[in-house]
Amino acid sequence: MPAIIQFDQTTVSVREKTILSGISFTVCAGEKAVLCGKSGSGKSTVLKTLLGLFAVTGGQVCFQGKPLDAASLQAIRSHTAYIGQEPVLGADTVRDALLLPFQFKAHRDHKPTDAQLVAVLAQLQLPSALLKQESSRISGGEKQRIALARGLLLGKKLYLLDEVTSALDNESKQAVFDVFADPSLTVLSVAHDPDWIERCDRVLELEEGRLIKETRHDHA
Amino acid sequence: MTTLDIALPKMAVLYGLCFVPWLLLWLIGLRLSRDIAVSILRMSVQLALVGFYLKTLFSLNDPWLNGLWILVMLTVADLSILQRAGLKVRYFVLPTFAAIALGTLFATFYLVVLVIQPTHYYDARYIVPLAGMILGNCLQGNVIALERFYSALHKNENEYLTFLLLGATRWEAVRPYYRTAIKAALSPTIASMSTMGLVSLPGMMTGQILGGSEPWLAVKYQIAIMVCIFTSTTLACVVNLKLSLKAAFNDYDVLKDEVVKTR
Repeated sequence: MPAIIQFDQTTVSVREKTILSGISFTVCAGEKAVLCGKSGSGKSTVLKTLLGLFAVTGGQVCFQGKPLDAASLQAIRSHTAYIGQEPVLGADTVRDALLLPFQFKAHRDHKPTDAQLVAVLAQLQLPSALLKQESSRISGGEKQRIALARGLLLGKKLYLLDEVTSALDNESKQAVFDVFADPSLTVLSVAHDPDWIERCDRVLELEEGRLIKETRHDHA
Repeated sequence: MTTLDIALPKMAVLYGLCFVPWLLLWLIGLRLSRDIAVSILRMSVQLALVGFYLKTLFSLNDPWLNGLWILVMLTVADLSILQRAGLKVRYFVLPTFAAIALGTLFATFYLVVLVIQPTHYYDARYIVPLAGMILGNCLQGNVIALERFYSALHKNENEYLTFLLLGATRWEAVRPYYRTAIKAALSPTIASMSTMGLVSLPGMMTGQILGGSEPWLAVKYQIAIMVCIFTSTTLACVVNLKLSLKAAFNDYDVLKDEVVKTR
């Protein structure tokens, strides 16, 4: 499997404070990897560095074999869906939130139909009536799944997930697991949830910005 | 008709009027004596200097000197805008200067060359006060535009980044904040135009009438200056925010941490 993400002796410092210290790992196509560790260990920073939100101060980060720069960053952003702990929906209603990316030039010609919106909601155990709901009146777990639905509508293949199952009940969690059972989707996630960690192929344990342990799960 | 002079003793009587607000503020417990005294003193000294240089500029009426004076006004306005908007000078000094120079010079020369048409387009009696009035209003608009735009971006950083990660270009991602900031910057000018003459008599028109102009002539000049202020403020704000983007964001479209003074 080709490597999609590669951190090679990567160091990230923000305001002279080292957040990641020389970490190295790769994530291959179709792989599901999870970053674990205490708060402040640098897990979320890994995801944000890959998205260009933090500058690499040492080593390098590669995406599909190309070092992170302004040009490759556009490729990363166009392939990647990032779902944080508190996703911003950026629109007044759920329907508008789902259609938000299709206002942008990059996706304008691929606007989904109503049937596609309903189908993607159903896939994530969300009722179609939610489409008319105001974004400000939905729960954190629903927001995460709507952000995920947006990624699916965009046909994203790489998912960066930050505690995406933290606010979900068992049924909703199972729906998310089912989505990511798709071997064509690559996942780099941050999680504390043992169920999520158990389902991942690879566990990367961080402590104070260092990668201290790497474990592989054999799901065969 | 000539305007009646205000002799120095009468100026002293005029300053005496300030005693009324000072007393009122003192009675309600606001101790602003120092601020009031400094403001009145600064106003008097600054205007006295303005009177002196305008007299000199008018008597010399040299195009290079007039141009130099406008350059000085633009530079002071540029620095003042950035200071009041809370932005770092070294990042924004050039875009802001370019934008206000474009807005002010375009509107001023349009008015002087195509509308008023004095014997010499560089006539200090027209070009200096008109450019000053246009620039003064342009300054207010640009302070509001920059301050609102960068505050909104700072406050809604997660939303902005979400737009980027959903495929928006930098321009598409900042556009909601851009539009809101431009609207806020132009609102005072638009409101002022729609109530002009009803709520208040504008300063320039009043000045011209007191200076002996026919009211109708003063009205026409007031309309001309308001149209120019509106044009220059719009042009400068739209261009300024657009030019500032290059200075404010890094290559990865992330707002640089250090561009805003308060961060």
